[in-house]
Amino acid sequence: MATAMLSIRGLRKTYRGRNGARANDGIDLDVAPGTVVGLLGHNGAGKTTLVNQVVGIVRPDEGTIRVDGVDAVARPDLARALVSVQAQANVPITGLTPRRAVELVGRIRGGELAEVRARTAALLESLDLMQWADTPAQKVSGGVARLTAFAMTTVVPGRLVVLDEPTNDVDPVRRRLLWQHIRSLADDGAAVLLVTHNVREAERVVDHLAVLDQGRVVAAGTPADLAADVRGSLSVELDLANGWREFPAALGDVAVIGQRAVAQVAAADAAAVVAWAQENVESGHLERYALVPASLEDVYVQLVGPERTATVGDDDGPAAADESSTGGTATGGAATGATGSAATGSTATGRAATGQPSTGRAATGQPSTEQEDPR
Amino acid sequence: MSVTSVARADDATVARLSGPTAGPLRATLLLAQWQLRRQAQFMPLLVVVQVFMAVATVVGYGLLVGDPDPTTALYLATGAPTITLITVGLVMTPQMVAQARTEGSLDWMRTLPVPRWAFLAADLTVWTLIALPGMVLGVFTGVLRFHVDLSPAPWLVPGALAVSLVSAAVGYAMASLLPPQVAMLITQALVFIVLLFSPVSYPSERMPQWLQTAHDWLPIEPMAQVVRSGLAHDTFTMPLRSVVLLVVWGVAAVVGAAAALRRRA
Repeated sequence: MATAMLSIRGLRKTYRGRNGARANDGIDLDVAPGTVVGLLGHNGAGKTTLVNQVVGIVRPDEGTIRVDGVDAVARPDLARALVSVQAQANVPITGLTPRRAVELVGRIRGGELAEVRARTAALLESLDLMQWADTPAQKVSGGVARLTAFAMTTVVPGRLVVLDEPTNDVDPVRRRLLWQHIRSLADDGAAVLLVTHNVREAERVVDHLAVLDQGRVVAAGTPADLAADVRGSLSVELDLANGWREFPAALGDVAVIGQRAVAQVAAADAAAVVAWAQENVESGHLERYALVPASLEDVYVQLVGPERTATVGDDDGPAAADESSTGGTATGGAATGATGSAATGSTATGRAATGQPSTGRAATGQPSTEQEDPR
Repeated sequence: MSVTSVARADDATVARLSGPTAGPLRATLLLAQWQLRRQAQFMPLLVVVQVFMAVATVVGYGLLVGDPDPTTALYLATGAPTITLITVGLVMTPQMVAQARTEGSLDWMRTLPVPRWAFLAADLTVWTLIALPGMVLGVFTGVLRFHVDLSPAPWLVPGALAVSLVSAAVGYAMASLLPPQVAMLITQALVFIVLLFSPVSYPSERMPQWLQTAHDWLPIEPMAQVVRSGLAHDTFTMPLRSVVLLVVWGVAAVVGAAAALRRRA
């Protein structure tokens, strides 16, 4: 990344009065034009603090932030002209309609009326929001408000686009449209910094990832780099019948939370584990099981530790269409897709229907001791 | 991944759209439009509240004092529009600003490529204008109830605008500089201070000495004097000291609010 649009070096920020906790503790980060960089981290990892420093709402204690070469710490006003931000909290737009809000922001950002109108209509159309375009904002759902905020950010995109949890509250179908938009923002030349804890979906869109934990970048690289360690390994998820806790040696360390167990197995052992699991489904020891390729999310959980990651699985599966396939058995595709990340999406399906989306996953990589629900 | 369904701007559009942002004046007007449209849904309620304020001060005080002499009646009749005018700035403006801070919309607005003073200019424009209908209502209620003869000064309209602006600026500064919860509490107290413990609807001689001294330095009495002498030019005058005091408060409030908008955590 020779010519980064956003270049952060040695960024430190400690808030006064919060036990002196360091929100950012020496962060280096680059975002080049035409790329999407994902910033992962649990709640409180320092992601939003980082974003707020880029646009001059928070002043860093140390370090430099350059946006297209402009010193954003000394001249936040110049930086803001180059950056558009979707904030983590939804911007209240009560009194306005989504269309009106997007158009007004587009014009405030310097767009000409006719262009902004056309682009607003195109955005609302392609995010499938037309039926709410002229509905007063107080009557639209959280997901529509979230997508409206996205449209407000991108109607006249800055050369750096910062998206802080853009997929929150968005339904699975529109979330796919949203990911396409995020990708095309970068393909059109913008540098995109994507703050998220939706690891599963982000990994298919981002070019680079940085994992933030306690204000530090604990890992960075392409999704493939980061997932290299777990390639060839599979994650088995079991919904246990009441009280049953007998696992074969091939499962290694099993993390059990309530009625759910998660373990890592080597690809070579997959067939044997499937056979064992199928047998126990038939004998009533297991409600269901799923075998999925170990994903970036597993890596992420290992990196930042399981205790605070209850939010990791907050997503309710990648797509509604996949939910129908949540049966009692793993599909063949799940096992054979172990080495290709493309399979991740279609094999993550079971969790949407289980009703306890986050706990099992949070326990991945835990030792086999039983533990309480981290929440 | 279907590319056709995605709204893609061509390179030229992106380049043009990502160019220089809206001029400061245009940005101010657009921001004012944003704020005004957001407040528009509350306007009917706001007008009702202002009617109540006017009726409360005119009719309610009338009940308290019985049949007032002409001077008292003139104080009451001119006090009502003052109270409706300045409670919008001193009470409602800070409540809205405190709410915007709490819910995060102020922080988001601050990420827009717009000079900080443009936010202040837009908000003050909106709140200055919102207060005016209530003032007109207050004048009519007062005249109807007390049958007083008004003698408007030529500078009544700019004077009223200035009072509205200063009170909105003071309210804005208060809500920007203080923690939102504290600002909210102060606004609650201010309702009573303005209604009952300020020389707005009665002469300041009736107050205890310490309160008179306090009002020598607060902006409320000068605001009342502007409206009072603007409406009853033949009876009341506007002391120069009050004009200066009002200007000082206005400038200090704008400087304070602008500094708060520039502040980085």
